[in-house]
Parts: sequence; C-alpha cells; structure tokens
Amino acid sequence: MASNKPAPGSLKLSPILDLNEASVLHGKLMSMRGSDVVIDASDVERAGVQCAQVLVAAARAWAADGKSFLVESASDAFDKTARLIGIDAKQLVAKEI
Amino acid sequence: MDMNEIKEIFFQECEEQLAELESGLLKLNDGDRDPETVNAVFRAVHSIKGGAGAFGLDDLVSFAHVFETTLDCVRSNRLEPTPDVLKVMLKSADVLADLVTASRDGGSVDAARSRGLVKELEALANGELPAPSVHTEAAAAKPAEAAPQPTDESGFQPIPFSFDGFDEEDEVTLEGSAYEIVFKPRRELYSKGNEAALLLRDLSRLGEMSIHCDTDALPALDQMDPEEAYFAWKISLKTTRGEEDIRTVFEFAEWDCDLEVKLAEPARPDEEQPMVPVPFDLSILDETPTSEEESEEPSASGIVAATLAAAETATNVTRLASVAARVAERQEASAAAAAPAIAAQNTAAASSAGQTIRVDLDRVDRLINLVGELVINQAMLSQSVIENDATGTSSINMGLEELQQLTREIQDSVMAIRAQPVKPVFQRMSRIVREVADMVGKSIRLVTEGENTEVDKTVIDKLAEPLTHMIRNAVDHGIETPEKREAAGKSPEGTIKLTAKHRSGRILIELQDDGAGINRERVRQKAIDNDLIAADANLTDDEIDNLIFMPGFSTADKISDISGRGVGMDVVKRSIQALGGRISISSRPGHGSTFTMSLPLTLAVLDGMVVTVAGQTLVVPLTAIVETLQPEASAIHSFGANHRLISIRNSFCPLVDVGRILNFRAIQANPVEGVALLVESEGGGQRALMVDAIQGQRQVVIKSLEANYTHVPGIAAATILGDGRVALILDVDAVVAASRGQALKPELALKPEMPLAAAG
Repeated sequence: MASNKPAPGSLKLSPILDLNEASVLHGKLMSMRGSDVVIDASDVERAGVQCAQVLVAAARAWAADGKSFLVESASDAFDKTARLIGIDAKQLVAKEI
Repeated sequence: MDMNEIKEIFFQECEEQLAELESGLLKLNDGDRDPETVNAVFRAVHSIKGGAGAFGLDDLVSFAHVFETTLDCVRSNRLEPTPDVLKVMLKSADVLADLVTASRDGGSVDAARSRGLVKELEALANGELPAPSVHTEAAAAKPAEAAPQPTDESGFQPIPFSFDGFDEEDEVTLEGSAYEIVFKPRRELYSKGNEAALLLRDLSRLGEMSIHCDTDALPALDQMDPEEAYFAWKISLKTTRGEEDIRTVFEFAEWDCDLEVKLAEPARPDEEQPMVPVPFDLSILDETPTSEEESEEPSASGIVAATLAAAETATNVTRLASVAARVAERQEASAAAAAPAIAAQNTAAASSAGQTIRVDLDRVDRLINLVGELVINQAMLSQSVIENDATGTSSINMGLEELQQLTREIQDSVMAIRAQPVKPVFQRMSRIVREVADMVGKSIRLVTEGENTEVDKTVIDKLAEPLTHMIRNAVDHGIETPEKREAAGKSPEGTIKLTAKHRSGRILIELQDDGAGINRERVRQKAIDNDLIAADANLTDDEIDNLIFMPGFSTADKISDISGRGVGMDVVKRSIQALGGRISISSRPGHGSTFTMSLPLTLAVLDGMVVTVAGQTLVVPLTAIVETLQPEASAIHSFGANHRLISIRNSFCPLVDVGRILNFRAIQANPVEGVALLVESEGGGQRALMVDAIQGQRQVVIKSLEANYTHVPGIAAATILGDGRVALILDVDAVVAASRGQALKPELALKPEMPLAAAG
C-alpha cells in the first residue's frame, strides 16, 4: 500500500524557540503524527528547554509509531543549545524501523 | 507600569522586608532557633538584593550579598547565631536599611561603618567568631569532630555538620574544585521568563562543565504539557570559583527550581549516567552579542522576575501556615539542602492569592472625610426631623434611627482601614536603643509588648518622633552606666520596656526604664533657678516630676548629666498633645521611671459631652471626664482672693471656671447655678471644671482648628453640630494647666504658650 510509506512531512522550526513557541510546536507536531517527518532546524537562533522537551518527546513518539523523525541542517545555535542542555543528537532522531 | 513605579514598589517591599528582617533577628536574639525564622531573615535580605540588582543599586547589592552570605552560614548551621553574631547582624540590618533609604532618597551612608561591618560579616562567614568561644577552639583543634556543646542556658545544640565542610571548601576553592550540581527547574521558572538553557550557559562559563540531562520525567508527546518543566540536570563543574558564585548564576531563579550545589566526592566509582562535556564557546547563544563578563547583568525578564520574586516574598512571610503545610508535604523528599526548602515555601505562598491591597492613603483619607461629612449630615437631618415630629414615632423617624446605626457602622469600618499595628514604630525604637546604647557605652535591652495593638495611621506616624526622643532620653539619662548599676545592686544590663495596649477607647503607650529615676531635688532646684516655679512653691512629688515637661527645661543640659531627664521633654509633650493625647510620668528613685502616654485611637471622631459656657457651646472629650455633679452652696469654699474649692466626698478639689479661663466672661460665675465636671488631668490631679449646663453627649467629627483657622489656646479642635453650628472642643489639659499656673504663680504664666492663664 502506498500509505505504508508516505512522503516525509517537513517542519521548519521558527528562529526563536521560546516558551510561547513550545505550545505551537507541540500542536504542529501532534498534527503530523503517523507519518515520517523531517525537522528543519536551520533557522533556529535561540532554542529554549521547553521546545527541546517537545522535540525529544516527539522523537520518542515517532519511534513508538515506527516512523522516522529527523532533525536536519541544525543551525549552530540549535546544535550548541542541545549539547549545552545535555541532549544527545540521538535523542532527537527516530529511525524508521 | 513604568520603571519608576516598579522601583517605588520595590522600595515599599524593601521596607516590609527590612521589618521582617529585624523582627526575625530579634527573635533569634531571644533564643528562637526555628529554621523558618532563619529562612525568613535570609529571604528578606535575598529579596532586597535581588530587587536591588535589577535596578542596578550596586552599593545595596554588594552589602546585601555579604550579609546574605553570612546568613546562609547560619541557615546551613555553619554559623551559630550567638548574641555576638546577632549583634553584628542587627547592625548590618541597620546599615542595610540606611542603604535602602539612601538608594531611594539619595544621600549617602556612613561608608566607614558599612565597610567595617562588611569585614565583620566576612569574618563571620569565614568561621571567625567575634568572641572566643568553645567552637573556634574545638574547630581549630579537631575540625572533623567539632563536638556540639550546649552554649547557653537555652540548651541549644549546634548541629555538628559545619566546620569541616567549610574549611575544606575554603582550601580547595583556591586550586579549583569540582562541584556537583543538581538543577531541576519548575514550571514557574519558565513562566516567569527565565530560561534554563541560559542559566546553564552562564554556569558553563564558570569552568569546565559536563552535563547529564535527566529526561525520565518526560511523558509521551500526546500527554505532555508543552509549558511544564520536565527536564532536570546533573552537572559536574570544575571551577576555581566558590559555591557562592555558582548559586549567583541561579540567583533570580533560585525559588523556582530545586537546586543542590555540593562539592563532588573525590572518588565516584559508579558513575552510571553518561556526562556530556559542554562545548565551551557558546557566544553564539548570547542574545546580545556584547560583552559576556557580566553574567549577572539583569535582562528585562530578569527585572520582572526579580520584582515578582520580591513581591512574592513580601506577601509570603505572613502566611506561614501554608508554608508549613507545604514543607510537611515535602518532608518525605528528604529536603537535605536548604535551598529547595525555601523554594518550596515560596511557591506555596505564591500560589495563594494576595490578601491585602495597597491603597493610596489619599483615597482613604478622602473616604474618611466624606464619611465624616455624612455623619454630620445625618445628625443634622435627624435633628430637623425631631424638631418637626414631636411624637418620634413616624416612619421617617424610625428610618433615621437605622440610618444613624448604619452611618456609625460605616464610620467604624472606615476608621478600621486606617488602623495599623504599632509594630513598625516599636521596631524602629529597638534600633535607636542599640545605637544610642552603643554610643554611650551602656548595655540595654528593649522589651516590647503589645506590638500588634492597632491605632490610626496618623497617630502612628506622629508617634515615632516623640517616642524616639523619649527612648533616647531613657537610654542616655534614665539608665545608669553598668558600673553604677552594679554598685546599686542591679543587673549591669538595663531594661527599657515599651508597651502598647488599648484602654477604654484609647491607646496607652508606656515606656518604662529600670534606671535611677528622677532626682526630684535637682529638678525642683532647676525649676526654681529657671524661674519656672516660686522658690517656696509647695509641690507634690508628681508635680515635681511633671516639671520636666515644662519648656525651659530643654536647655538644662547640666541636670541631664547628673540625674536624668529634661532634654526637650516639652517638645515631646507638645507632640503628644497635638495628637489629642496626654503624657505623664511616674518615677521611683532608684527603680526607674515610667512615662505613660494615652492617645486617641483616631483623630477623626471623638465622644464628647456638649456643654454650654457663657452662651457658647463647647464639647468636652468624654475620656477626660470622671464624673459630673451639681455643686451645692455648702460644698463651695473660697480659697485666697479668687480661688474656690469644692468639697467632694471629704476631699477638696480646685474649682475652675471654664468661662473665666477662656475669657468668655469677666467675672466668675456662681458655681451653684452651673454644673461641675470632674476631670482628671495628665498629672493625676483632679479639677472641677465649671460649666453652665450640659446639653448632652454625642460623637462628634473633629475638624482641625489649626488647619482651617489658627491655634487657639485652651481649644483642641472644632466640630460641626447637628444644627449646623460650630462648637469648640475643649483642651482639658490645657485648661487645667492654665488653672494650675494661677495657683502656682499668679502673676506669671506657668506656660508661656498659655497667655490666657496670664490674663487670669
């Protein structure tokens, strides 16, 4: 069935991932459940912990769904914030099983 | 809300925090070892520091910081709050108050004094006790086992945690040490605009940091609340800085997270959780690509957070109950460190809504004024209805009675808004006692009682000055030097007792010292020398004591050196009288003196007796009247040329014609045709005031005569009666004093400010 492997959805993260963005991001991700997704983090200038929480939870959810979840072309700020708060790149990725 | 308003709120909060700080320290001084008291003290200083940091008040911040560091030692049981330690702390609280005032109003503080205290505080924080004690020796000899010993009669035992940890920390800080930090933010941290990532960034700048993020608490995506705080961190940090610097990073967030900072144990065999080293160059994460050395620099959100924090603490402290509940709840979580416990209290109190509002005093005053008008208006309405309705049974009449009750209730409630406890004034006095006692080298304890007695705010505001004066006098002249006290068989430490209580619709404030009392011989001699009394005047002990309130004594500096009082007591008396109050003194040689002030609870209304004197309507304050009587001719006795006495139950009492004293009439009225009001003056002596007739008794709204016209001797204020006429309120003490002046020295007024007496 074609629906077995739909085209990966993509989501571009906002430049500012702060407290307000966390709910927005959560809502967007919730609506993309069930299909592979690629997160574009290239524009991120500032990332907050709460958005990171949403992303980690999403990666787990996608893993549980057996779908792929990828963070691509992370900006320097995104990358460094993730390492600063001790989030491993692996935690932001769900591989297709 | 602009910055100035926020700043103004900050200063208001500061005042509350300072009061909290002082009362906490005094409690500790009295042997209170409740951790909550210590916490309250710590919080107060911390909040002031936080707010001051947000407003860039550097002097305040740096002093508060040192103070806080020392308090933290007390909080974590590294420093025992001995009386010596608390003495330094109380002085520091005074300096902190000065710094706050200086920050608000401009001006400067005694820099040398604050520097000296900073040194003392730092010494305390470093474990140097101000006086040699068991602990320093024990700690020096065997730091690891500083055995707890009861240090005073209270039997308090210090917890044997402190010294080794402390020493160790001091040593290793120099060569750089590894800290283990557990940081768990709460939801509030984010909702107040703080960002854990930024805190971690600042933390990473302190040294070499490895981090482990604990994501276990993170629920599934569809169950999570995006604004909740799930992540927690375990951080190991190698730094040359001290624990204090680490905590500074979390300064504005401390109460919104669980934070544990401790030295890493040297050998940790089973490090199960992988620690990720943190990239060192994080400049890209800076919001503003400017200098990065100022990690403490408050951001806009920092200011808000700090202000919020300050506001919370202020509302907090009163609600210990909810705090206690929350603490109990948390006990199982083994709150080992003090910081989380404080954080818990803060959130607990923050969650309960504010129970007070701040209202501009002008608004309250306007309301009170309007209610006063309402009362007068209601009285006028009643009167005109009564005049037109002889039977008094019409429905209008009944309705009016209800209206009267209602207005009275409204008035009482409005008055209650202005009622404030005298506590702040009393607390200020303890500082004065400390400072003056220090200055004159005496050891004096101030005991206060009835601090929660409430009285009108105007009264409180105006009470501070005379009370300060009297306290100074008591410390300077009332209490003897320690040597003299010991020679007299008294404890070298003097005691001053300040009491407030309600008594029959007035507030009674007593200031009692256990000093030497008044040297009556000297006072009398001085009064004679200064032409205040005739050389042959025959005065009772009470009357001699009361001579110190006379103007003319204020310049007498010699007497204050020898026996006691007399410095500006006339000023004190005038201030008290201006408040509608009375002051009296009683003294027992060798045992001390007691000043008693009786003040009205409010300056807005008064229960009075409406009387007629020479065709004028006067109001006599009901509190002054002991009894009223109809004199009989047989009871009246002439005494001298123009004095008369009335015999009441076998004792003689001077008869004073009010109409004559106030110059309403030229010759004395016939006592038998009038009514005598027996009044008690502040000196304790009784006088019978002659008036022509009593009209009735009612509550009147006081209208200041000074504000609307000018001061009239013998008259305290004015009021508007139900029929719209203005009636004068009699100043009973002034009238009595005037009559006494005649008795003492007929040709010279006793009180220069009473020209009426001279005319008599």
